Amino acid sequence: MRNLLNFLIKYGTWFLFIFYVLLSCVLLFSHNSYRESVYLTSANIVTSSIYDTMSQITGYFHLRGINESLQASNARLENEVLNLRHQLAESISLIPDSSREELVKNRFDYIPATVVNNSVRHPRNYFSINKGRLDGIRPSMGVVDQNGVAGIINVVGTHTARAISLLNETQHFSVKLKGTNYIGSLSWKGSDPAVAYVSEIPRHASFHTGDTIVTSGYSTTFPGDIPVGTVLNRIRGNDDNFYIFKVRLFSDFKALSTVRVIKDDFKQELDSLTTFDVLTDK
Amino acid sequence: MNKETIYFTVLFILMLFAQVLICNHIALFNVAVPIVFIYFIIRLPINLGRGWLFTLAFLMGLCVDICSDTPGVNALSCTILAALKKPVYYAYVPKDDKTVNLIPSISSLGIATYCKFLITMTGLYCLMAFSIEYFNFADLREIAIMSVSSCILTFLIMLAIDCLIISKS
Repeated sequence: MRNLLNFLIKYGTWFLFIFYVLLSCVLLFSHNSYRESVYLTSANIVTSSIYDTMSQITGYFHLRGINESLQASNARLENEVLNLRHQLAESISLIPDSSREELVKNRFDYIPATVVNNSVRHPRNYFSINKGRLDGIRPSMGVVDQNGVAGIINVVGTHTARAISLLNETQHFSVKLKGTNYIGSLSWKGSDPAVAYVSEIPRHASFHTGDTIVTSGYSTTFPGDIPVGTVLNRIRGNDDNFYIFKVRLFSDFKALSTVRVIKDDFKQELDSLTTFDVLTDK
Repeated sequence: MNKETIYFTVLFILMLFAQVLICNHIALFNVAVPIVFIYFIIRLPINLGRGWLFTLAFLMGLCVDICSDTPGVNALSCTILAALKKPVYYAYVPKDDKTVNLIPSISSLGIATYCKFLITMTGLYCLMAFSIEYFNFADLREIAIMSVSSCILTFLIMLAIDCLIISKS
């Protein structure tokens, strides 16, 4: 017993070292809810309040660029509204009165938020926003900025939330070539925060450099046709049946500031249908 | 609480804030990232007990991890760096009574020895942190480029901090 105690006292610090190494490995490799707990992410109350204060100071630095991109986005949207109003006025006369109310019901709501912490240099990047559960934010909601897709919410605190950035190697987004039905999978491969890759676009799809990539709308996370980026060029992939496109992203992730979180009012209904399918399959 | 404890408490907080609020947002040419918080581990006295050294290093890494959403990466690298500190130190400094009670700095070790100690510690940390973060042999080139460039940038920043401290004192 005494020998054991002497041994433990003599090598106690190395046991402590092994304990810290094991604890770090648990944090590093475990993929359970423990790792995603609010306290161990930047969405916890202490970290988010520090970042919030810092963001109030540094938020002014990018205002010029954000203002320019908002003006461009505003001009594009105004044009779109005018066109849609014109088309709606023409079409609405053809629809019976009873169906008009259903037609104008909005499926998606947008919750504005401010990015308080953001990273672009890791292989798995995240950003935090200053809105949380009390503001209606829930996991799996999509996040867009004024230019396009930014990420997906994954950890929600009371007043803050953390989103998986589009610049995260583990995250894939369902996208398509604008104006076509060719669906692909968008992912980021690290290094350049302005460039991502779209894979699984079938070979028979016709495309040109500069074509726009938009969200496919085949999920409850993002509505369809939200801009993502433009095709830079095609690169050689492992599978000859599919194209891989290099895409220049619209969103400037180094200056991510004001974002909108997308709330899908049909999510519960669609999710219950999926659950129903699973249950009936069993 | 003695003067040294206050000094290292302030250094811990300063380095943590400098890392998460400033350095985490810098990526020179998209590859060179300053990792200044390891300056705290490097500056800890050589005669500090191993238990304290491991605990403080682990805590520093964990705090940076929580703020940067990199669970475990810095905590693991900092703990290993703390274990390597003494062997690296005694690789450049002869082990005698005069050197065991030192806080590593330019004035205590001399510029040449201190630079060798600093760059070895920084290089080891960068290599560990980026290897753990990428954890993929396919990214070997990326890991090498990021480690070397980050090591050089971090080394220069830490040397600048040391020069600032000397000029103030």
